[in-house]
Amino acid sequence: MYGDGSADRREGQVRILSVEGMEITTTDLGLAARVQHLTKTYGSGEGAVRALDDVSVGIRRGQFTAIMGASGSGKSTLMHIMAGLDTATQGRAWIGDTEITGLGDLDLTILRRRRVGFVFQAFNLVPTLDALGNILLPFELDGRRPSAIERARIDSLVDILGIGPRLRHRPHQLSGGQQQRVAIARALATAPDLVFADEPTGNLDSASGREVLQLLSTASREQGQSIAMVTHDAVAASYADRVLFLGDGRIVADHPRRSADEIAALMLSGGAPVAPMAAARAGVPA
Amino acid sequence: MTALAPTLLETPLTPSRLAFLRERGTGSSVFVSALTAAFGVILVDTTFYLGALLQNDPFLGDSKTLAYVVQILSVLLTAVAMYVAAIVTANTFATIVAGRTRRIALMRLIGASARSQRSEVASQGLAVGIIGAVLGLAAGVLVSWGGAAIGSLAFAHPPQGFSPLQPGALIPAVGVALTTWFAAWAGSRRVLTVTPLQALAGSAERSVAETAASGTRHLGAITMFVLGGVLLAGGVVVGLSSPLGVVVAFFGGVFSFSGLAIGSVLVMPPVLRLVGRLFGRGATARLAAENALRHPERSSRMAIGVVMGVTLVTMFAVALESAKALMVRSSAEELPPGFFAPFDAFGTVMMLLVAVSAVIAAVGLVNLLTIGVVQRRRELGLLRAIGLSSRQVRRMVLLEAAHVTIAATATGLVLGIVYGWIAAQSLLGSVPSMPDFQPAGLIPPVVPWIPVVAIVACTAVLTLVASATPTRLATRVAPVEALAAD
Repeated sequence: MYGDGSADRREGQVRILSVEGMEITTTDLGLAARVQHLTKTYGSGEGAVRALDDVSVGIRRGQFTAIMGASGSGKSTLMHIMAGLDTATQGRAWIGDTEITGLGDLDLTILRRRRVGFVFQAFNLVPTLDALGNILLPFELDGRRPSAIERARIDSLVDILGIGPRLRHRPHQLSGGQQQRVAIARALATAPDLVFADEPTGNLDSASGREVLQLLSTASREQGQSIAMVTHDAVAASYADRVLFLGDGRIVADHPRRSADEIAALMLSGGAPVAPMAAARAGVPA
Repeated sequence: MTALAPTLLETPLTPSRLAFLRERGTGSSVFVSALTAAFGVILVDTTFYLGALLQNDPFLGDSKTLAYVVQILSVLLTAVAMYVAAIVTANTFATIVAGRTRRIALMRLIGASARSQRSEVASQGLAVGIIGAVLGLAAGVLVSWGGAAIGSLAFAHPPQGFSPLQPGALIPAVGVALTTWFAAWAGSRRVLTVTPLQALAGSAERSVAETAASGTRHLGAITMFVLGGVLLAGGVVVGLSSPLGVVVAFFGGVFSFSGLAIGSVLVMPPVLRLVGRLFGRGATARLAAENALRHPERSSRMAIGVVMGVTLVTMFAVALESAKALMVRSSAEELPPGFFAPFDAFGTVMMLLVAVSAVIAAVGLVNLLTIGVVQRRRELGLLRAIGLSSRQVRRMVLLEAAHVTIAATATGLVLGIVYGWIAAQSLLGSVPSMPDFQPAGLIPPVVPWIPVVAIVACTAVLTLVASATPTRLATRVAPVEALAAD
């Protein structure tokens, strides 16, 4: 009687399959997700704010990408649209080979459920469900049990993340670091096209934070998981294979892996590479 | 209150003093107290009117016992009305306070004392109570006046010189203002436990805090319930020899139900859990079931409000039918046709009046569900982000409401049958309904099916109505709200 989502699923599949285009696909480009000429404005007329200004960028498959930028740079807006949480004013967005611009709320929901994983800064877990219930939630919302392969994947995730003894604990019985591990297990459990992490270490002490970052980079390196992480922490970004910088709604820089010090210097220069002397000078508070 | 001469510093604050009336929950508690006051006024007027009407009736006018019974009922019904009002109001305020925790914590952080915060809530309760009482008095008098006008057309022997604006009608209005004040104070007990740190707490929800109720309170509830049970049984026994048994049983009812209401957190969660199992294992069903048990105190209070309404209506229905059965049994010959007509009219009016308490409970339910949704916007955002469709959100909120109403209706029906039977038995077990009849002795409860079906249908409608606003609010939550780092 309450068989959740089975109708959703059928409907969703049909539509998602039908959206495949004839042009070069995201997969052909080696990307997990991409956006093209993306513009997002809030408000209208005089008070309009342009959060994103004609952004075109792709998240490479199997890579751990950090997206950086000051508050108001548009980094969160970009991730929200890429992850199907928000809609663009103009431009197009794809997750895998599915174009998500113009998808309805239900299709977007099903897409997120199956093909996007989320790790947030805080409040990642449903407080009424235990750790295992939280990990299995994306499957249950889909009205199904994990398959044998998925089950094995979840078991190995639980093992790697070291949360086995905590599976029957409720979120309030877990430390911040443990909660974040459970959230990572949930995000990775469905083997999504893209895991979206929004300041995943923002609420953690530095030791737990390092562990979480290590786990994310391991997932990307060893399982080929594509991860996009929004952060303004140079140390967190130093775990990524690629660091994108946003400023005033545009991509202002795109760097390969950098050390935390280098990233800190880049942050101070607004993303542009700087001479060592300039970096040293920039270290002085303005 | 004490500041008869406002100082310069206080003066600019005055315009914002009444700002709380716009807060979510406060408006509906004004409505609840207005409804309660109107209910009380109408009840007082109606019982006076019915008492006068029964005395005018050619069949029953000479029955001294029956006039006596109606007078007892008038007093008892007024007491029941005040009682329902007090509990519903206290529940609403306790929930409003729970919803304000962060703001209170912020005030504490800035430097307000816990006691000043609590007395602020209590004084808001008094304001709400006074506004509600005045509105309710006006509405109640108006309805009673209209009712009396219809009555004088409908009845062959309408009572003379009946005025709805009698001094007695002021009692419930004043009572509601005072009980709302007291209820707000009682319901704000949790203000004292709010720590300034809670203004800063972000991620993990403290769902355990509410469950840790005091043991003494539970002991008191159990004691009251047991004492009430003993009195109820005593009422039935006394009722076999005197109609005064109903007085004993009434106190038994008040005690046992108070025990139940105070100890609702002991009684309702097991019932809620049982109902939760009926919903199956689907994700939305499980989430809904867990939500209903997340704040056991809050859901129990929410449920007990509905339980009260259902219990009272069922009680009247069963009491009426059982009373009829008792009279039939005590009579040697066929009763004259139309003998039960005044009883049926009386019973129907009573049931309708008592059903108003179910409406009050419904307002409380809407309030509690709505606040529940508002308080977990981030969680709903999280669920939406990880794949809960808006249709599933809608189903979840509806199931959450259904969870409470089903548990409450089942409990209320059982209690109502027991109370109704005891009421009839203790009142009429000894009374010959006509001078030459034999006392009836003990009979089994008679459950009329039409009121029971009506109750079930009404609670089904109540579920739909109560979940409408929360559903609208819940489906409006955007997935992005899960990311708000407040």
